[in-house]
Amino acid sequence: MPPPPPPLTVICSEMELEGIEGSLVLIKQGAEARVFESTFVGRRSVVKERFSKKYRHPLLDSKLTLKRLNAEARCLTKARKLGVSTPALYAVDPVLHALTFEYVEGPAVKDILLDFGLHGIVEERLDDIAAQIGDAIGKLHDGGLIHGDLTTSNMLVRIEDKAVDLYVLERALLSMHSSCGNVLEKVLLDTFGYFIRNMQSDFSSAVKMVFHNGPYPCCIQEILEAVVCNLEQASSSTTKRKKTHNDWMSSSPFSRTR
Amino acid sequence: MKSFEIGIGGISLSLALFVDVTNSKELLELMQAGTLEPEVAFLNASLVPVVFPVLAAAYKTLVAKSRESLTTRTLHSELVYNYSGSKHISESLKRCGISDSTTYILAARFGASSDEMTAIKGHIKGTEIGLDELETRADRAQIHKHYKISVPELGISSVSDAIICRISARDAL
Repeated sequence: MPPPPPPLTVICSEMELEGIEGSLVLIKQGAEARVFESTFVGRRSVVKERFSKKYRHPLLDSKLTLKRLNAEARCLTKARKLGVSTPALYAVDPVLHALTFEYVEGPAVKDILLDFGLHGIVEERLDDIAAQIGDAIGKLHDGGLIHGDLTTSNMLVRIEDKAVDLYVLERALLSMHSSCGNVLEKVLLDTFGYFIRNMQSDFSSAVKMVFHNGPYPCCIQEILEAVVCNLEQASSSTTKRKKTHNDWMSSSPFSRTR
Repeated sequence: MKSFEIGIGGISLSLALFVDVTNSKELLELMQAGTLEPEVAFLNASLVPVVFPVLAAAYKTLVAKSRESLTTRTLHSELVYNYSGSKHISESLKRCGISDSTTYILAARFGASSDEMTAIKGHIKGTEIGLDELETRADRAQIHKHYKISVPELGISSVSDAIICRISARDAL
């Protein structure tokens, strides 16, 4: 029996990358590109390097690869504008045909589903993931973008940093007038607890929208009003969508029985 | 003042933040005449919510320099140009750099020694503050307008990430 192949790690030498520092550790190799883990100005990152196909004419190969590289960068920015969550693009290198992305921490949907297969389905989580997938694809298609390779191994579930949302509001709390006192703070913290447990993603979107509209609101009252207003808008639009979907399902002659 | 390793050629970027600057006109004139020593980049700090996008622009600048493909005349003007989401050079330099009326400035220099940074601080008639104040003093409305950040995008991303995406993807668009 031949010895097992060595694990796939490639530490890149300076010579290979024309003097650009930063070690690269290969994490995956596909048909079109190699994916490495690296650091970008101190942050964990992923480098996707498209390789050149030797069977192609070099001029054609270079043009094609560059075109694909730019298309990927463009699609990513467009997807973000449409409100689809993607890793942030840190750098684009037209010479090395490489894209540097933010390293997204979290399992692939495929792995989560496999885990469900082994240890049982967590209904709530499955529903949540399915809804988010549908939401993201819907946004892409509405915006005229076609993914081209929709598979659960291409979807990551980011580990949410709950502390971030609290931080945003904490800064607002700190900047408000001291006359409001501790009572409001306690009430707000209890509200946070409720929101975090039940409506985390809605709450964080509502919070972000509040701070999008110009400078920080100057008092807690304004913040709460704005957040509640945004949440109401968000929930009324989702209930509307759910209703119409159910109506369609029951009226269609092809409705499936679950 | 703080220095950051960019990761190319071991070159670092030093940043210093100033408020209540009164001599922007003078700084601008010196810079355009090419007589400001040592060479430094002045960024409109209202457009900087956090340091990271500036570092990404610095990375892009050093890569271009290493390939002898700078678009602007100097390394530091290139940094200002690269901080913009627009390919239009003069417009970018005007928006991301300083104007006669700018009072809130982020000064940046590549590979600066502490003497050089002291000299730069000497040129600027303003008060130096910590980089952690960038977040509260950033002009979000101006950022959203300059980088054309949509509301849906803010729902899935931080302002910093939105800016970086534009910085990195600019030349691919």
